[in-house]
Amino acid sequence: MATVEITNIEKYYGGYHALNDINVDIADGEFVVLVGPSGCGKSTLLQMIAGLETITGGELRIGGDVVNYLPPKQRDIAMVFQNYALYPHMTVGQNMGFSLRIRRDPADEIKAKVERAAKILNLDQLLDRFPRELSGGQRQRVAMGRAIVREPQVFLFDEPLSNLDAKLRLSMRTEIKELHQRLKTTTIYVTHDQDEAMTMADRIVVMNTGVVSQIGAPLDLYDRPANTFVAGFIGSPAMNFMDGTIQGGKFQAANGSSWALPSDAKVTEGQRCTFGVRPEFVEAGGDVAAKVIVTEPTGSETQIVADMGGEHFTCLFNERIAAQPGDTLKIGADPEKCHVFDIETGLRL
Amino acid sequence: MQSEPLDPGLRKPWNFVLLYKYLVLGFVTLLIIAPLITTALGGFKSAADLRTNPFGLPTVWHWNQYTDILLGIDYWRYMGNSMLISAISVFVTLLCSTLAAFTFAHVKFFGKEFIVGYLMVGLLFPVATAILPLFVKVRDMGLLNTYWGVILPTSAFSLGMSILLMRNMFEKLPRELLSAALVDGCGYIRFFWHITLPLSRPILATVGIIAFVASWNQYVLPLILLNSEERYPWPLGIMEYQGEFTTDWHLILAFVTLTVIPAIVVFLATQKYIVAGLTAGAVKG
Amino acid sequence: MTDTPTPNSISPPRQGFSLRPANALNREGWVTAALFLPPALLLFTLFVVLPMGEAAYFSLFKWNGFGTPEDYRGLYNYERLISRDIFKTALWNNMLVILVSVFIQLPIACGLAIILADKIPGGNIFRLLFFLPYVLAEIVAGLIWRFVYDGDTGFIAKFTEWFDLPAFYILAEQDYAMYAILAVIVWKYFGFHMMLFIAGLQAIDRDLYRAARVDGASAWQVLRFVTLPLLKSTMKLSIFFAVLGSLQLFDIIMPMTLGGPSDSTQTMVTYLYNHGFIRAKLGFGSAIGTVLFIICVVFAVVYQKGFFRDAE
Repeated sequence: MATVEITNIEKYYGGYHALNDINVDIADGEFVVLVGPSGCGKSTLLQMIAGLETITGGELRIGGDVVNYLPPKQRDIAMVFQNYALYPHMTVGQNMGFSLRIRRDPADEIKAKVERAAKILNLDQLLDRFPRELSGGQRQRVAMGRAIVREPQVFLFDEPLSNLDAKLRLSMRTEIKELHQRLKTTTIYVTHDQDEAMTMADRIVVMNTGVVSQIGAPLDLYDRPANTFVAGFIGSPAMNFMDGTIQGGKFQAANGSSWALPSDAKVTEGQRCTFGVRPEFVEAGGDVAAKVIVTEPTGSETQIVADMGGEHFTCLFNERIAAQPGDTLKIGADPEKCHVFDIETGLRL
Repeated sequence: MQSEPLDPGLRKPWNFVLLYKYLVLGFVTLLIIAPLITTALGGFKSAADLRTNPFGLPTVWHWNQYTDILLGIDYWRYMGNSMLISAISVFVTLLCSTLAAFTFAHVKFFGKEFIVGYLMVGLLFPVATAILPLFVKVRDMGLLNTYWGVILPTSAFSLGMSILLMRNMFEKLPRELLSAALVDGCGYIRFFWHITLPLSRPILATVGIIAFVASWNQYVLPLILLNSEERYPWPLGIMEYQGEFTTDWHLILAFVTLTVIPAIVVFLATQKYIVAGLTAGAVKG
Repeated sequence: MTDTPTPNSISPPRQGFSLRPANALNREGWVTAALFLPPALLLFTLFVVLPMGEAAYFSLFKWNGFGTPEDYRGLYNYERLISRDIFKTALWNNMLVILVSVFIQLPIACGLAIILADKIPGGNIFRLLFFLPYVLAEIVAGLIWRFVYDGDTGFIAKFTEWFDLPAFYILAEQDYAMYAILAVIVWKYFGFHMMLFIAGLQAIDRDLYRAARVDGASAWQVLRFVTLPLLKSTMKLSIFFAVLGSLQLFDIIMPMTLGGPSDSTQTMVTYLYNHGFIRAKLGFGSAIGTVLFIICVVFAVVYQKGFFRDAE
């Protein structure tokens, strides 16, 4: 087990600046999730940590040692891939023991380690099967088994659940988290699914277009997003944003609505800014008028998309609301749960 | 275009389109096999019988025309020479081209595209353009009239196609497999040995069989590079034989039949690979 | 390494072939390339590339192949070549092969492929049968057909006998021998081209046929507006192979006519062999080889640049 320190990391592909000054310190035993939309550079960063991509600039330390120039095999890491990358011509047991065989560990030791890992993952009945004979979930577990057999310093996961169906994804999520609690190995996990990031991570690194947008514990990101990107990316359904100005100590939106400001917002009278309200914090019975466009009841919740001065505005209510398209709702929100951002930079005010 | 009928109920009791199709197919089949069957039967006939009755069954079955060839030494020597030359050529081709194709498919290094382009140039140019300098070169190397003198150029000219086919196949292996192997502690060389080779048996078989057939049937290279009958592969042998018996067609036909039979047997046994390889290479190429 | 480049700065340092221990993966890549490539490169350079270059060099000399070429003649061999009628015949014969391949063999292959691409009873057997001539050695095909064409014993002999005509030796007829050979070429190669078309047809999404039928197209219209346009790239490929095959045509000619009678069935390669190799005129023969090489280059460029462009 080890710490991972990412300091001023840069990546260029020819003239294209793929990663820009990335700094992340990961503590020993921590479960860190890199999350962001596709193309944000999260997978590139993971590949660089694994040694599968060259590092253009900056420093990468694993367990305190600089590993920039080490090949993957000398970094003492293990990786689980999106498509599992199981060797099709090897049995489950051979797949799991392959890295040990390459390391020339004694055969009986390999056998013991593989069996132990197989037991942890409930794979002991499948050791002689070939990958093509397994279901998606089983393949996923073999890929994890291959990683844990090596007892590496760091686990790397590259979107490991994106090929599973929704139900299996939820149960594998739990399984991976359990495994981490049991092994306490430092883990770096890449996903584009903010839900996965929120539920699994000790800390989340939100990335966007090659830069780190914000690093923090899941609930911190949710409660105090540092900018509009994080605010919009974390949380589902996504936060409602409105542009407008501060007038008379209130936020006056261009769409005509008016909102009370959170007490910690550092704004001045007349400043132009962006105001954010999460759908789940919208309350019925305020003084903002919204015209219902669509209602989507799920049983436990009611989601309503409404029109507010020509813009869509999403509300999520925990109670059942009997609103028809065309009805006008009166809504509001607790000002302490709203967010104000600079209209130019998108930074939190 | 007879795709499956939209509604099975629309099928007519008498499908005339299908009938015409079979008429066409039958006619083409006749054109294909009539010469072949006549050849095989001709080998059983006497010269006079062949002259008066080229198409029918032999009036007397002259088995001895076949057995004479099979019991003689020439046929087997030609076949043995061809087998030796083809087998070693295939081995050399596969060895060189798997290594090269792997490097092109998986290893990143400066100048790769240039080298690939260089080797692919060979695809376009027929052996024949260079036979004279090739003759001089092989002679100057002291390899004229040796097996190696034929094997090396044969392999060299089959490299382009083999590398192309194998590189396409290797590139189809998921990239993650290479990543996984690197993380598992392999370098390129171990990845090649432990992962690529075991996964490539079908393509190796395909490329090997195509190279073998080409080498087995080849005529022009041995024609200029070998000059003693002792070393002749069978296409040269058969020409030698027909030169000897010029108009004794019944003997020549028997010999032809005996060289065709192994080819047909091998073709039927491996047709899956041959057709797949030729068309796949073609579709990609 | 501590000072990081400013964001989006101009041209960053490109890694890969610098000599400092840049990264182990690239270095290992070099080692692998250095170990794995030489066998193929050596073999290829020695027996394919060098001889082609030497052909161009030798073609400038009058040389019988012994010792080193010394009698420098400049472009004399080419002048002689171009003035020869045999050269024109050979070129025309190669052209004929291409024309027959494109205008007779290709439609036959395509038509049979359309019949056989769908599942019909016995389809696989027909496919194999039609492909069979392609697998036979050219030499064997040539020999079999010389027998078929033989005016005394073969098929033609039988026909002339039936109709009480005088014996007809088609391969000895200056005016007809080449056409007889063209028939053999179609017989031998249409199966291969048919397989190309079958592969091409099978790559077409069947839903397109269904969509066209739903749109009201008749079977012929489906063929005309869906199938054939989608086979365009296969046709180009088929033409490519036909041209390449024509340029190296040799093995079939040798057992049938050796290029005769009176050089009427020479192709570029038989001409090179008969007049360059057999008569030990290596300079002259190399000139033929070089011309053939140039034709290949021109064809390759035209094919890549002009022909392929609209396929994308």
